[in-house]
Amino acid sequence: MLKHRLFPSLALIFVLLPLLANAAPRIGEPAPAFSGTDTTGKIWTLEGLRGKPVVLEWTNHDCPYVRKHYGAGNMQALQREAAAAGYIWLSVISSAPGKQGHVGPAEADALTRTRNAVPTAVLLDPDGAIGRAYGARTTPHMFIVDEQGTLVYMGGIDDRPTSDPADIDGAINYVRAALADRAAGKPVAQPVSRPYGCSVKY
Amino acid sequence: MHVLLLLAMTWVLVSPVVGAAGPSDHDPARVRTEHLTARLLAERPVVAAGESLDLALVFELETGWHTYWRNPGDSGEPPRVQWALPDGVSVGAMRWPRPSLIRVGPLANYGYSGRAAHLFRLHVPVDWRAGEPLRVVADARWLVCKEACIPEQGRFELQLDVTDDPAASHGSAPAVDRLFIEARDRLPAGEPIRAHVENSDGRLWLQVPARRLPSPLTGAWLFAGRWGLIDHAAEQPWRLHDDVLTLELTPGEAPDDRLEGVLVVESGSASRAFPIEADANPTQSTPEPVPTAQASDLALSSALLFAILGGLILNLMPCVFPVLAIKALALARQAGAGPAARLVHGLIYTAGVLTFFALVAGLLLALRAAGAAIGWGFQLQSPVFVALMAYLFLVMGLALAGGLTIGSRLMGLAGAAGAKADHGHLGTFVTGALAALVAAPCTAPFMGAALGYALVQSWYIALAIMLALGFGLALPFLVLAVVPGLAARLPRPGAWMSVLEQLLAFPLLATAAWLTWVLSVQTGSAGVGALLAGALSLVFGLWLLERSRNARRGWRWLTLVLAPVSLIAALGLAVGTGRLDVATVRTAATDGPRAEPWSAGRLAQARADGRPVLVNMSAAWCISCLVNERVALSSDAVAKAMAGADVLYLKGDWTNRDPAITDYLAGFGRSGVPMYVVYPVNGKPRLLPQLLTEQIVLDALSTLVPSGGDHRRELRP
Repeated sequence: MLKHRLFPSLALIFVLLPLLANAAPRIGEPAPAFSGTDTTGKIWTLEGLRGKPVVLEWTNHDCPYVRKHYGAGNMQALQREAAAAGYIWLSVISSAPGKQGHVGPAEADALTRTRNAVPTAVLLDPDGAIGRAYGARTTPHMFIVDEQGTLVYMGGIDDRPTSDPADIDGAINYVRAALADRAAGKPVAQPVSRPYGCSVKY
Repeated sequence: MHVLLLLAMTWVLVSPVVGAAGPSDHDPARVRTEHLTARLLAERPVVAAGESLDLALVFELETGWHTYWRNPGDSGEPPRVQWALPDGVSVGAMRWPRPSLIRVGPLANYGYSGRAAHLFRLHVPVDWRAGEPLRVVADARWLVCKEACIPEQGRFELQLDVTDDPAASHGSAPAVDRLFIEARDRLPAGEPIRAHVENSDGRLWLQVPARRLPSPLTGAWLFAGRWGLIDHAAEQPWRLHDDVLTLELTPGEAPDDRLEGVLVVESGSASRAFPIEADANPTQSTPEPVPTAQASDLALSSALLFAILGGLILNLMPCVFPVLAIKALALARQAGAGPAARLVHGLIYTAGVLTFFALVAGLLLALRAAGAAIGWGFQLQSPVFVALMAYLFLVMGLALAGGLTIGSRLMGLAGAAGAKADHGHLGTFVTGALAALVAAPCTAPFMGAALGYALVQSWYIALAIMLALGFGLALPFLVLAVVPGLAARLPRPGAWMSVLEQLLAFPLLATAAWLTWVLSVQTGSAGVGALLAGALSLVFGLWLLERSRNARRGWRWLTLVLAPVSLIAALGLAVGTGRLDVATVRTAATDGPRAEPWSAGRLAQARADGRPVLVNMSAAWCISCLVNERVALSSDAVAKAMAGADVLYLKGDWTNRDPAITDYLAGFGRSGVPMYVVYPVNGKPRLLPQLLTEQIVLDALSTLVPSGGDHRRELRP
């Protein structure tokens, strides 16, 4: 009995561990490839964006931590700054159908409109493929990929892991800091930080 | 009116008062939100100046909802508290109960379900004026999640009476007492365990000295103290080896040379948590000497000696002696052969035994490497193996009794034909291997310790011990074969041999009968039915083959078809016993004091209740277990002694594989039964010998209860 249960699970672990190890994105290495459909049906791939820097933002409009940054206009401000600096901003919704934050294209567009948000596109990832490839854990969870497709930042939006909008003022915004470092031609000083928020509802 | 006033005063004293900030209902004692109830409690309603006492912030969570540990894992947020305190009063940092792993899809959180009680130490200054109430206010924020997450907050106010008489400051409601006892029980215990962590091949290897960990260990999980150190969701394969627990961790996004966290271990149904601090420096041995399983303390040389002794004793076991007897018979036949020929036979027999033991050792090591916990009585725990062995002994018995001449061919394999010159060497070799095979389940007194030792050693030591065991088993025969003086004293061959041969059939048939009974315990009457039908089919097939030798042609064709059919049917029936539901099997009925079935939980509960316990680990196929039960455990005197000391008698049945029992045995450095453990009211468990006498049991029972007075702890109503 024991043997029968043990060996398949051990085998599974041995097969899966290397996969998991490969899946984890690393700073300074090529960012995981992806292919995602936006709210207009357009397909975006990382390969197709080569030559342009990209910001990926995992989001779930019902998550208190996402509401903290959208409610205060913090996320929208960051989107505008990134756009001005030539970044492609992709908001990714990885909530599975039936789970919190799952939306269709129309609803996603409505959210963008009502929140006055300006992402380049909103990718709908209901099967979680992009989320899993990037190891996205929380909403928000932020990634920055440079022109060569190299991952240069992953982690939280700032250093105050709370849902209280009052904590936005005075927080160190890691994404803004990374954009500034790159604009100054410097490597990103803090390339990894703790992502915080709600879990991605895979 | 009077009662109402009293009630109101009680609320003020022992319960928090809800402030305006939190969502609340009419009950001022709690902050109640949609999915949880939060309370702030004091250990006691009265405190003396200069004293300290514990406060608890307690979350009672709706099913499916959870709050978070200080490192919440992949998402979430730990609760935080801000205190508003009078001058001079201080509150220590939040103490976190051990977290649980909460998996959310591919992610993992560290947090709490059901109830989370966070403790704080409150210090009252010496100069606090007695009689002046002490008021503390806590503003708490927390996140509560199921699928969705809700940030919540609440204000808690607590008022304590301060007395100048420390003696008057004690006593509180039993429910509050219990809550604090449980809360402290869930805190990581003691000083941090210093551990070693190494990053190699993209894995983090955490090595924790196991001295303070409970035994037997059935589960282990490291909760990293902050984000980025490890992948929170990754599996954590662990193994215990040489008193070191090794966990294989997956590094997180921000790995560090140092790893801090809490190790939660399981032992049976009990969980405990220990703070861990690990760095890349070699592990320093913990100064405190804590006794480990005694078998592990055996030096290699004495372990080898014990193994040889154990092997020697195996020769006398009922399940190996018949085979040895057959071999001795063959040797007697050979008395005329030269010393060289006898030496060769002796060595070949030894080689047969050693080959078997090497094979088993290899298998044991392979299974151990795979993490499987197996014990020595392993073979006899498989009904198919038991059925096939019963067939074998039946056929050998019939052959010896003269019922089957075809037996001489089978016995050539089984060893009885070892004397024949043509396939004598093969026969001798097979006899050796067979003796070892049937000896294996009979755990002699020395074998348990030696094997327990072998199981936790490196592979070459384990192999050496297994081979020493085999050597011990082969030794009497080897001596008999090598020393001419001894061989000469063996009786000369003669007519007595055929009588002896027939006589030896009975131990073999008795063994077959015993195996049938073992099978009946394992599989019930259905298995016995299958075995008997199979035996009938087998004997019929062999008889057909026997007839066909000297028979006419037509008859011969018939038997050539029918005999294989009946033999295959016999095999099929034996294999079929393996499919019978063994889960429904009950403990073999034995006399003696009334026993409860053993479980780790029952044992822990009895220990907690302050009852002395006698544990008996037994199996239907274990002869010495049955002898002990008959000789030492079932007398009136023992029953009376047990009743007198209110000893809980727990009996574990290892007839079929039971991993919980295997782990329990391993906790004492054993890998086989019988095993007897006594647990005194206070103090460490003690092993009894594997061969018991009534006096040993009575002596052991008399030490369990501290002399004088009732040992039973008073139970709260």
